[in-house]
Amino acid sequence: MSGERNPLLPYRATIREIIPETGDVKTFRITLDNPQAAAGWRHEPGQLAMLSVFGAGEAMFSISSAPTRRDFLEFSIKRMGKLTRALHEMEAGGRIGVRGPYGNHFPYEKFQGKSLLFVGGGIGMAPLRSLIDFVLAAENRPRYGRVEILYGARSYDDLCFKAQLLDGWHHKPDTVVYSTIDRAEARWTGHVGFVPAYLEQVAPRPENKCAVLCGPPVMIRFVLEALKKLGFADGQIYSTLELRMKCGVGKCGRCNIGAKFVCLDGPVFSMAEIGELPPEF
Amino acid sequence: MTAARVLAGGRMVPLLDRIAQKYRLTAPVKEDGVVLYRRVDGGREVCLDFGLPLVPPKAHFFPQTERLFSYNAADGLELKEPPGITASVLFGVRPCDLRGFAALDPVFGGRFADVYYQDKREHTTVVGLGCTAVRPECFCTAYGGSPVDEQGADLMLTRVGESYLAEILTPKGEQLVRRSAEFFPPEGAGEAERAKAALGRELEARFTRRVDLAGVKEKANTLFESSYWGKPAHRCLGCGICTYLCPTCHCFDIVDEDRGDRTGARWRCWDSCMFRDFTLHTSGHNPRGSKMERVRNRFLHKLSYHLDRYGLPGCVGCGRCIAACPVNIDITRVIAEIKEAG
Ligand SMILES: Cc1cc2nc3c(=O)[nH]c(=O)nc-3n(C[C@H](O)[C@H](O)[C@H](O)COP(=O)(O)OP(=O)(O)OC[C@H]3O[C@@H](n4cnc5c(N)ncnc54)[C@H](O)[C@@H]3O)c2cc1C
Ligand code: SF4
Ligand code: SF4
Ligand code: FES
Repeated sequence: MSGERNPLLPYRATIREIIPETGDVKTFRITLDNPQAAAGWRHEPGQLAMLSVFGAGEAMFSISSAPTRRDFLEFSIKRMGKLTRALHEMEAGGRIGVRGPYGNHFPYEKFQGKSLLFVGGGIGMAPLRSLIDFVLAAENRPRYGRVEILYGARSYDDLCFKAQLLDGWHHKPDTVVYSTIDRAEARWTGHVGFVPAYLEQVAPRPENKCAVLCGPPVMIRFVLEALKKLGFADGQIYSTLELRMKCGVGKCGRCNIGAKFVCLDGPVFSMAEIGELPPEF
Repeated sequence: MTAARVLAGGRMVPLLDRIAQKYRLTAPVKEDGVVLYRRVDGGREVCLDFGLPLVPPKAHFFPQTERLFSYNAADGLELKEPPGITASVLFGVRPCDLRGFAALDPVFGGRFADVYYQDKREHTTVVGLGCTAVRPECFCTAYGGSPVDEQGADLMLTRVGESYLAEILTPKGEQLVRRSAEFFPPEGAGEAERAKAALGRELEARFTRRVDLAGVKEKANTLFESSYWGKPAHRCLGCGICTYLCPTCHCFDIVDEDRGDRTGARWRCWDSCMFRDFTLHTSGHNPRGSKMERVRNRFLHKLSYHLDRYGLPGCVGCGRCIAACPVNIDITRVIAEIKEAG
């Protein structure tokens, strides 16, 4: 076929390391097999990639490692169905397919000079981590104000990225981490309660700040209410949308919301933009 | 670059024989009373007297099932793309379907251009065939089309009396004519062109569906939350045939077929937004879980979304969906009802 690169043909890749996060989430650290492809790969925080296990199929995931890490890509993946189950059964050294990067990205250019509030729940921390690590990287850190990270999960076992969450990010300059779990546990000395209530209690101020949210739809709904009460405007709040995807490149028609394709025009939207979409997601 | 020639009616079959020698030829064929585009070896197999083939010729560029690549993950990992196609001719494309290609081109082109579609598009010469009758479902004129419109063809043939007017519209069309020049004398072309214009006027007067689209897109957009969609949705069976037969629908699924030994192939297959599972998440959440939402999505895609995205209508007025729907859901009636809806 023609000389151009076929967007539906994955790059071959190798799993280098598998980091268990929770009972059903693992982080896969991978590298592209072809050195040219690896050198040419550029992604932005918030972008996506399609992962293949040949025979099981493909699915879309957020790239959870920051673009400032040039030597590998990471994906943090929850076991759900066929493809994710097949991935979870693989071991380091296993061969998979990757295509991407796809989608828009968090507008970190617009965030410059502002403080940032990250609110995440469960596996929703995956896309946020790419941006958090990008912002906290030494070469970028001076461009942003204070960073507040509020993250919650059902239980201690369900907290992703424990190393960074409990003993990593808060060592960075002007960075505060709040973590919470839904119900009290003997080994947990931190906060107990749902994310939206904790957010109201922490009460971050909205001035010159952008809030970035990712998590289950119910959490998002209540976090939005809480942010409104705290005085955040829709244009200050960003989130990502998930729709089922097959091609990732605006052809298969599966991820439309009105005239938008989430795979091309998303997954990142401000709440002001989401308000203009037909309510069909 | 229009240049006009004439093809004698009786020379059509030998011309197709000649084309089949030089190109891979796909043309309308009658199978069990149904006209479909098929690979043919010569003119005798081709059906020249037809209304509109059941399945649109988009299938030539975007097949119903298509292998994306085969894989061998048993030892190492090998991925193999299928070979491209050889020089092809797609013969007998009606004017509405020519516009269908124009609607699909920006979908499969642009950023992340689809190499499968592009390869076939590049290596195919499209020979259009003007209509000689108007079917009861036709409403191409609503979109500025016409039963004799040549737009989108490389070579356009229009039956006028005992012969065909042959309009050469692109370098590909010119090459095809050059390779069979003795079939296409220039004499009488002026007269044939005048006859085509008259045929166009005569056919346009015969349309029974007069559809006025003025203001429909804008009105449809205000009806997103309207209860109107319940009306067509109540009857819809969700069979999806309207989308499979639509020349502008492009939704597809991607699936792996494994032989059980970690070798196999990845395929893409036509899919439909009329199916419940189309948007179903693994969690059980479904953004278009109800038939009302799916019917609304289909009509808004046709009347609004495609236009917003590509500046071209998502419907060409071929009427296939009207003819095929088992419960008579009729896009022209939906258009009329959108205008009335409050
Ligand atoms: C933009 C975006 C970003 C994402 N980012 C991440 C991320 O960072 N991390 C992450 O973990 N996930 C992420 N996801 C979600 C991820 O894509 C899905 O979890 C994944 O597609 C599930 O694939 P699967 O093959 O395992 O599921 P399957 O469910 O096997 O896959 C396909 C379909 O099969 C059907 N199916 C499967 N099982 C059943 C069943 N039991 N009953 C009925 N039908 C069934 C469903 O229709 C399902 O949609 C993201 C999704 C999107 C769109
Ligand atoms: S929506 Fe119906 S009439 Fe319009 S192009 Fe598709 S099949 Fe033809
Ligand atoms: S053909 Fe008719 S019944 Fe079938 S999905 Fe389309 S509108 Fe519904
Ligand atoms: S995933 Fe195919 S169009 Fe978005």
